[in-house]
Amino acid sequence: MTAPVLAIRDLAVEFKTDTGVTPALSGVSFDVPRGQVTAIVGESGSGKSVTANCVMRLVQPPGRITGGSIRFAPDAGDAFDVVKLADRDPRLYDLRGGHISMVFQEPMTALSPVHDIGGQVAEAILCHRDIGKEAARAEAAQMLERVGLDDMERRMGMYPFEFSGGMRQRVVIAMALVCHPEVLICDEPTTALDVTIQAEILTLIRSLQHELGNSVIFITHDLGVVAQIADHVVVMYQGRVLEIGTVRQVLKQPLHPYTRGLLQAIPGVVPPGERLATIASVVGDADIETPHPLVALADGRQVSLPPAQLRRVARS
Amino acid sequence: MNEGAPAGAELLEVRGLSKFFGDVAAVERVSLDLARAETLGVVGESGSGKTTLARCILRAIDPDAGSVRFNSANGWTSLHSLKEKELVPLRREMQMIFQDPFSSLNPRMTVQQILEEPLLIHGERKRGKRVAAVREMLSRVQLGADALTRYPHAFSGGQRQRIGIARALMLRPSLVVCDESVSALDVSVQAQIINLLEDLQAELGLTYLFVAHDLAVVRHICDRVLVMHRGRVVETGTVEDVFERPRQDYTRLLLSAIPSPDPDVPLKPLDRATLNL
Repeated sequence: MTAPVLAIRDLAVEFKTDTGVTPALSGVSFDVPRGQVTAIVGESGSGKSVTANCVMRLVQPPGRITGGSIRFAPDAGDAFDVVKLADRDPRLYDLRGGHISMVFQEPMTALSPVHDIGGQVAEAILCHRDIGKEAARAEAAQMLERVGLDDMERRMGMYPFEFSGGMRQRVVIAMALVCHPEVLICDEPTTALDVTIQAEILTLIRSLQHELGNSVIFITHDLGVVAQIADHVVVMYQGRVLEIGTVRQVLKQPLHPYTRGLLQAIPGVVPPGERLATIASVVGDADIETPHPLVALADGRQVSLPPAQLRRVARS
Repeated sequence: MNEGAPAGAELLEVRGLSKFFGDVAAVERVSLDLARAETLGVVGESGSGKTTLARCILRAIDPDAGSVRFNSANGWTSLHSLKEKELVPLRREMQMIFQDPFSSLNPRMTVQQILEEPLLIHGERKRGKRVAAVREMLSRVQLGADALTRYPHAFSGGQRQRIGIARALMLRPSLVVCDESVSALDVSVQAQIINLLEDLQAELGLTYLFVAHDLAVVRHICDRVLVMHRGRVVETGTVEDVFERPRQDYTRLLLSAIPSPDPDVPLKPLDRATLNL
């Protein structure tokens, strides 16, 4: 087993607001295994996007990383702690868009409306490598072809508004992959898309990941998407990690009552006509608000539960 | 205004409805019937015309062709033949619940003002009656009376959607159009709102036209479903028939794209090109 590409430990983030300090993350710890897809699942406010932003050091005031470490181990060169990098450290520049890149939910806002597609993808290369404009454009065209665009001569000169939502997301993915990042972070990349286009994009991300062998952090609230894309799953709730395991462990035998709630609240789990389970009804009396430490179990998974429940889970 | 009852429909009869934007047919020759207290789902991808259809039915926009007949308190009425003014009393009976609970509530109005506005527009002059109606509706959507003096920003997404539902129901409509009403909500909140919509339907005998792109939600909440593609209805039937035994390639394409939450059921989306769609 190789070392994880990212090891996040005790990460804490706070946001200063008018009414005081709000913790956005507390004690977040998990590994991102090399060459695999790790999904972070949670509802709004669970801290999944903030965690991704920490990895890229994109947390902006009034937010602030107040503790913990993110150890990044590149394929070549020494590992370092992303949290400790100074704002002007050249390694930070190499990291963003170089070693690690990001695909966001809204492709229209991720792309510049006034630059052509070819130029935008080529720019990503020019930022990180010492090559000529023409060579960068040629590589950009190759990458765009790989994500499924055709008629490159014409497409390269087109603008984002001339593309459909799905095509735009393909362009953003090409832009993110063109520097061959070791980690691709996808933050709800299919949430704004139709289910048919979502299926195409999921298939594309998965097949490119197999081809290129990079690691993926995939952020979503949709457990159907998780089941189809992830190898590992991290369940987050209110800035904490509740459960970590393989996709089968977490989705087929969830240990935490909140994970069970998330799974049972999906329409389609109960027969039509029956009342949907809500997280509150599944969780019942179990206390999910009090933080408990993440404990590793024998089968490699980790869970955060009160001591009594933990003993029951560990025995079974 | 009074007309004979059509065969088949109990509440709404739509025939040959079309709406063009320039040369593009957003909705083309759509016909449907609605029975009382049923939920009809309208599904399709973005751009398929489902929202335009809903808006044409309510005459939020004017269709270019076709008829919409509605069984109002005064009997069957052709909506397209009415003037704006004549439509006003009918608006009581047809209401809409929107997708985004953030942009569909006026941030400068308190919940009390938001909920009594429909009553004011429709001429309820007695303040006492309005207040009582608002309180009753608030408890129906399971919000406390302490909500009355607060503004939308003080509520979570799920609570705001409850306020939007309460506003739609203040006038006791018979037809409620839900346009992606649960799409913007988190899974846990979505389940609560779906349960609430079903409870309210049973209590108040509501008929829902449920526009949504999430097929799992539609399957759960709807009795019948209408599949739209490029402005046309390609398939219609009971939820069970359409989901279990789809007859059209486009419906199969949509269904094949739903990711299963079971990691052992791999996603195998059909290919649009090979289906010639």
